[in-house]
Amino acid sequence: MTPIKSVSRKWSALFLAVLAALSLTACQGSAKPKNLISQEKEAARVVNLFSPMEKTDPNAKNIARTASDLTVAMAEEKLGVSMMYRTYTAENYQDKTYDEVTLDRARSNMDDLYLLNPDTLLILGAEGKLMDLSGLDSAKNLREIIRVANTVDGKLIAIPQEIVAYGLFLNMDLFNQYGLSQPETPEEFLECCRVFKENGFETPIGANRWWLETFVFAQAYADLYNGGNAEAEIAALNSGEAKYSDYMRPGFEFLQILIDRGYIDAETALVSEAIEAEGPDFLAGKTPIVMAYWGAANSETGYGKTDFEMQVVGFPSSRGQMPVIPMTGYGIGAEAEHREDAAKALDIMTSDEALQLYSETNRVISPSKNVKVDCVPSLRPLNDRIEEGIYVLGSNAGMNVEQWGNTCLIVRELLEGASVDECMAAFDALQEAALAKE
Amino acid sequence: MMNIPNKQIKRRGLSLLLSIILVFCMFGAIIFSVSRKTAREMSNSAIQNLSESLDLIQSTIEAILRSEAEFQTLIAQEIARVDDPEAYIRAYEKNQTMSKMSLILSGKTEGISNTGERFTEDSLDFSAGETVMGLPISQSYLNYMGTWSYTMKCPVERDGREIGTLYAEYIYDAVDRSLPEGFYNKQASLYVMDAESQRFVLKPKGMGQRSAGHLNLTDFYRANDIQDPEIRAEVNACLGSGKNILFYHDIRDVQALNYMWSVNGGTIFLVGYVPIQAIQQEGRTVSQNIFIVVASMLAAFFLCILLYYLSWRQQDKLRKEQEAERKLHSQQLAEALQAAQIASESKTTFLSNMSHDIRTPMNAVLGFTSLLSKDAENPAKVREYTQKIMASGQHLLSLINDILDVSKIESGKVVLNLEEFSLNDVISSVDAIIQPMAKARKQDFHLEATGIRHERLIGDETRINQILINLLSNAVKYTPEGGHIRFRIMELKQRSSQYEHIRMEVEDDGYGMTPEYLETIFDAFTRAENSTTNKVQGTGLGMAITKSIVELMGGTIEVFSEVDRGSLFRVDLELRIQEGHADRRFWEQRGISRVLAVDADPESRESIQSLMQDAGIRLDTAAGWEEAAAWLRDNGEDCQIVLLDWETCGLQAARDLRESFSMPILFLAESGAEGMEEALQIKFTGILTKPFFVSAFREKVAQFWADPSEAAAPVPEEDGGLQGLHFLAAEDNEINAEILTELLEIEGASCEIVENGRLAVERFQEAEAGAFDAILMDVQMPVMNGHEAARAIRSLDREDAGRIPIIAMTANAFAEDEKAALDAGMTAHVAKPLNMEHLKSVITQCTKRKEDGS
Repeated sequence: MTPIKSVSRKWSALFLAVLAALSLTACQGSAKPKNLISQEKEAARVVNLFSPMEKTDPNAKNIARTASDLTVAMAEEKLGVSMMYRTYTAENYQDKTYDEVTLDRARSNMDDLYLLNPDTLLILGAEGKLMDLSGLDSAKNLREIIRVANTVDGKLIAIPQEIVAYGLFLNMDLFNQYGLSQPETPEEFLECCRVFKENGFETPIGANRWWLETFVFAQAYADLYNGGNAEAEIAALNSGEAKYSDYMRPGFEFLQILIDRGYIDAETALVSEAIEAEGPDFLAGKTPIVMAYWGAANSETGYGKTDFEMQVVGFPSSRGQMPVIPMTGYGIGAEAEHREDAAKALDIMTSDEALQLYSETNRVISPSKNVKVDCVPSLRPLNDRIEEGIYVLGSNAGMNVEQWGNTCLIVRELLEGASVDECMAAFDALQEAALAKE
Repeated sequence: MMNIPNKQIKRRGLSLLLSIILVFCMFGAIIFSVSRKTAREMSNSAIQNLSESLDLIQSTIEAILRSEAEFQTLIAQEIARVDDPEAYIRAYEKNQTMSKMSLILSGKTEGISNTGERFTEDSLDFSAGETVMGLPISQSYLNYMGTWSYTMKCPVERDGREIGTLYAEYIYDAVDRSLPEGFYNKQASLYVMDAESQRFVLKPKGMGQRSAGHLNLTDFYRANDIQDPEIRAEVNACLGSGKNILFYHDIRDVQALNYMWSVNGGTIFLVGYVPIQAIQQEGRTVSQNIFIVVASMLAAFFLCILLYYLSWRQQDKLRKEQEAERKLHSQQLAEALQAAQIASESKTTFLSNMSHDIRTPMNAVLGFTSLLSKDAENPAKVREYTQKIMASGQHLLSLINDILDVSKIESGKVVLNLEEFSLNDVISSVDAIIQPMAKARKQDFHLEATGIRHERLIGDETRINQILINLLSNAVKYTPEGGHIRFRIMELKQRSSQYEHIRMEVEDDGYGMTPEYLETIFDAFTRAENSTTNKVQGTGLGMAITKSIVELMGGTIEVFSEVDRGSLFRVDLELRIQEGHADRRFWEQRGISRVLAVDADPESRESIQSLMQDAGIRLDTAAGWEEAAAWLRDNGEDCQIVLLDWETCGLQAARDLRESFSMPILFLAESGAEGMEEALQIKFTGILTKPFFVSAFREKVAQFWADPSEAAAPVPEEDGGLQGLHFLAAEDNEINAEILTELLEIEGASCEIVENGRLAVERFQEAEAGAFDAILMDVQMPVMNGHEAARAIRSLDREDAGRIPIIAMTANAFAEDEKAALDAGMTAHVAKPLNMEHLKSVITQCTKRKEDGS
């Protein structure tokens, strides 16, 4: 017998022996408990998170959401809690808005953690419905501007995961085609619109019912925030010595011109949701200018992937291109059912580690002074201005009239046909109401 | 004949294959049918399972709605009893189920809520006309808490008169708390949809962006890609009629059961999907287990087939081997039989030939003996007749030697005597024997050696000589006068560093052989028969002996021949190299460190260099005399010897060289080269016969350097006269004894004959010391043979028993016979028939040794 045969026979015998042993083992029974129901049920720790939901293709990855999810997963893992998403999306403009529902739910203590837009944030803060977050570890890392803008009555009421900066998204291929440079001032902007209009672009600006107010803020507060006398000017506004309407008027008049000259389609804008309406035309090169937030330049569901060269710049103002920064952030219901766990979760979600992950994923400006991330090339003009410290705030907790939400609503009135004077009167009324409240 | 069984086997194999395929088809059909039935049953089971779950949820929600309606009716009754219903409402606090309670008194359009606000019915939509236990229920809406809710209204009746309407708002979150946590282990989705608005008013817990499609039915369709118009139409029909619908649709590539389940007669619907695998977890396990069982059975089946096949293949292999063995045996038997027959025939032929060949010289011997007796008085005639008798006897002897050689080789008794030898000696002796034979027949015999790198080898020199002489003498014999004979010896590529691979070729342009004869040339007892060769004497055994010896040495012999064109015999041998033979001291003692070899043939130069590489000498070469002269101008003083190729350089070169230098000159020349005599006139010159060999070179060098011990002329051997010597001879054959006595007497010696070994021992014992000079001992004798006698003599207790020469004289003429004789204590061995010169020489040497006392 050859050695190979001998070895193969040995292996065959071993294989059969193992097979037999396994067969015998398989026949062995196991002891069964009498009670068949498992008693090991842990009381689940839950944090209810109320945040807006976008109507997107379920298979498409929304970068912003994914980044947020990553930090949520981090909190879940570290705390052992489950973050329960609760969402609301308006079907159409006649439905309650997300902000309205947020106010209702926060006032009724329906959830624990809320992702709040600037206006709701300030309203709820003023109503004392939000918990003071200044004790969180992550609050210590915040940039000063963020801390100030989110502080109401000495309480830090929200912490953002990113600084949301709004800007103008320009199709540079078209700008170059018509020999136009990036507009710095309102006049230059109007000139650009004129050229586009004359060259067959019916409405050079793609607008929606939410973000036209950014034009107003840029012109209204360019001097206030960049003139070196912000505190005094805000104090004058809060005391009634100065009027908000005086600040707002140039911006509204500017919008009125845009509407009157047909650079904006007011009727369409009034019923359009952000990006959904104007996005396809911008991507198709039919609209050379839109406005959007920083993250849209990174997101495939926004303007992250264009066939043309895109640049994001600030809004035109007397001080040149002006980024507009409203404050969004996470707030916790002051009387929320799981507020302790919610606070711990938020502390993790806004920790430097989580914000680093978030900023790297979305390539956004971090609210933490310890986190620095490079931005995509198209955002550099906007980023450069912010790094220079030139911007206006879209919301400010230090002002007694809420800015972001109110201005949005009043711009809608303008779109509906109200005059600039009527709009200014609305601001005056708001200011009077605020003064009366005090 | 062989095709029929093959066809049968093929047909049988085909049938077996078809049967197996059939079995597999049946097996597959059964599995398919069973699995289809199982799948159908599992599908039914899944539908039933989901239906039951949804029924349960439906019942739960309906129970909640009923309990809410009953509760509201009770409150309405309570309000009817109180004096101030509006105060009752204001005092009522919201709870987990009911978020708001409002009352509008009859006749009014506006009422109050427990939240303190004014209340109208305007914001509520009861147009669908749905009820719960008779109470109208509104369309779902987002309430002041930002959550989905519905309102039921209940009349407040006092004494049969309606005094107002009670509105109670309920939030879906209350329903949510009663729903199963993690529907189908959180793999399923479960929405509650308001039928009228088709909006989802309750979503799965934890729902977020990650699973979109929870806005309304359209969103659900979009997100889950439910585009089939038939399904949509059917869903719409069911939504309209308040019926349930369940349908299969893949959700993100996963097979799922989608459902729209009517609750409260179609007011709201349970909407969602459940992946089949979530419902059929156990079914999946069952399927997996069935698959494992089927796979195991198939594996076992294939294993059995494999084992059967292996066993069959082994048996088949065994059977084939046995058949092959049987066939081989039969063939061997047939061949052996044929060989035996051929051998028998050959031997008959041989006997016939031998009879002829032996009778021919025997006839001469007897004839001339008769003539001798008649012409005894005529000395001239006597001398002539005895010479012819002698020649015939010699021929007879060689014939007998060959016959004995063949029979010994065939019986495997030949033993090779492996000893160190020099190729130079072999070539010299072959040249010495063949050259005269060729010259006698006026043939041109040319000898060449190429590429030989090792001269000293180990082998049986005698047998190698025998091979070469056989081949060359045949070449001389079978080549007509004036023909050419070439003997080439060359080295082939070594297969082992320890063995020299040598090729020896003998080529002639003689008669050649027919292809038929070539086939039998190496068989014993055959001889080329034709009118020409019949003139040639021979036993026909030479080639058989040659081949046998070559094969005994592990070599090969080939022959190529064409009639009238000549023949080429090629012998390849591998001979062990004698290592470390280089005698560096020889050259050192003579102060030889540098030699120049001049030869136009690069192969020759290379051969010389290769042969001399171990001698410790720096050997330089030149391709011609001009080059050599230039070299000598620079290095002449350091050069001790110059080898000049005669053909390349000629006489003038030697003269030129001698004018400038005095070192010895050796001419490398063919044997018998012309003009050498004149060259040898030059001082310090000599001839080295080509091919070059170190041993020959050494001999010449030794002569030049005239070492007294080496140069001493050999002492001429004394004349081997046996005058006065007295021998004791044991010989049982009277004639042989007489011949011996006569021959010795002719030489002047005397001899005493005894008939066997015993008598020889006794006679020696009796004799005085020195009575005999030597004992001549036959080996085969009656009573006591020669070996025993020699041992007995050597063992005698006598002073001369050990040294008296005992010379074996026997017809057993082989090397092993000689060895046996020497082993028995004899001094020397002489083969019969006696050659008197040889005997004299041996006796002289033996007696001389005895005198020397060695």
